[in-house]
Amino acid sequence: MLPVLLTILVIIMLLGGLLAVEHKSLLIGVISAGLVSLTASIIYVILAAPDVAMTEAAIGSGLSTVMFLYVLRRIKGDSNA
Amino acid sequence: MLKKLFALILIGGLGLIFFQLYNQRSRREGLTKTASYYTEKGPAETRSANIVTSVVVTYRGLDTLGEVTILFAAASIIGFFLKRSEKGSKDKTIRNQSSELLQTGSMLLVPLIFLLGIYVFVNGHLSPGGGFQGGAIIASGTVLAFLANPSFEGGRTLIHILESLSGMFYVGIGVAGIFLAAGFLDNRIFPTGNVGSFISAGAIPVIYSIIGLKVGAELSAILYSLRDTKEQQ
Amino acid sequence: MHILHISGAITLLAGSIFLVLGALGVVRMPDPFNRIQAGTKATTLGTILVMSGLGMLHPSWLPKLFILIFFIVITNPISSHVLARVMHNLQVPLWSKKDQLSEEEE
Repeated sequence: MLPVLLTILVIIMLLGGLLAVEHKSLLIGVISAGLVSLTASIIYVILAAPDVAMTEAAIGSGLSTVMFLYVLRRIKGDSNA
Repeated sequence: MLKKLFALILIGGLGLIFFQLYNQRSRREGLTKTASYYTEKGPAETRSANIVTSVVVTYRGLDTLGEVTILFAAASIIGFFLKRSEKGSKDKTIRNQSSELLQTGSMLLVPLIFLLGIYVFVNGHLSPGGGFQGGAIIASGTVLAFLANPSFEGGRTLIHILESLSGMFYVGIGVAGIFLAAGFLDNRIFPTGNVGSFISAGAIPVIYSIIGLKVGAELSAILYSLRDTKEQQ
Repeated sequence: MHILHISGAITLLAGSIFLVLGALGVVRMPDPFNRIQAGTKATTLGTILVMSGLGMLHPSWLPKLFILIFFIVITNPISSHVLARVMHNLQVPLWSKKDQLSEEEE
């Protein structure tokens, strides 16, 4: 059960990373980078590392996504360009 | 085309390296020497229920000090490069007022988020979490306050005071460890209580609270300077 | 005990059905406003049902689950409201040609 779950989560992570790199829209790229962090934090919880998971969830998927969005708005990043 | 080919070759090479590592790994029996020292002697020496915390704050406390310093440097550099807009021009820019529902909801939620952050770093020696996590939670509360009220100004002075004082106290407690206990950042400068009780583990809760305040203040300062920059034309 | 177990399982199942329907709605609905309805209303009810089902299965978790339900009840409608407001400000086109909420008479 555990290897299957981990495999599914890792595949989601890989797809999120690919989407973040390949997608034309910067907004969707930033949000899929957040998805990668969120999935990584779930994996950390499953692998019994709650301390790391909290850091990853709070900083990786929460704060850094918000900061990227702030910066995108600052540089007037055209989300469709 | 050539760029994609290079990227593919790079990814393939990395994949090959990781595959080799995966194939050659063997299941390690028992812990390494350092890890077994931490797990066996850690609770007895530091009286902390969370071994990760005792490693992060005490045994490898110097590294944590380095991390906090890096964060401080990042916040200072961001504040330095993003010039603040002048007072006059900021008032002229019409910020979109957010709706009353969002403002009321955030007024209810932001104090609770701050409370959660403080709980996380105060209980760092008992439960998962600690200074960095608690500080990040506090900063996300600041994000919510910004989003709900774009001209939110509260706590700017408090942030700067906390930022400076907590760094100073962190190093101060570390130096006190040299004189009162075994070495820099030793947690036994305060009486260590029983493992698992709230007042235990000597200076670990104090140090972790200081780290939490410091991280929360740094990240909030970064957010402040990101919000207040001049709009690029 | 046994009754609590069965009713908890049924509540959990109902909650997960609502969550699946919400996800289906996000994919299937024609315009963003409709997607918000599916994505927040259905998931709010679904999550509350899942939490209550868990509370019936493990009565010792009830206090924490109540706090979680409280937060979901507060945050989910607010986020839905903010999304809808932003889309209205951006003048996202509606799926149906007629705007039922517009102030001017047709």
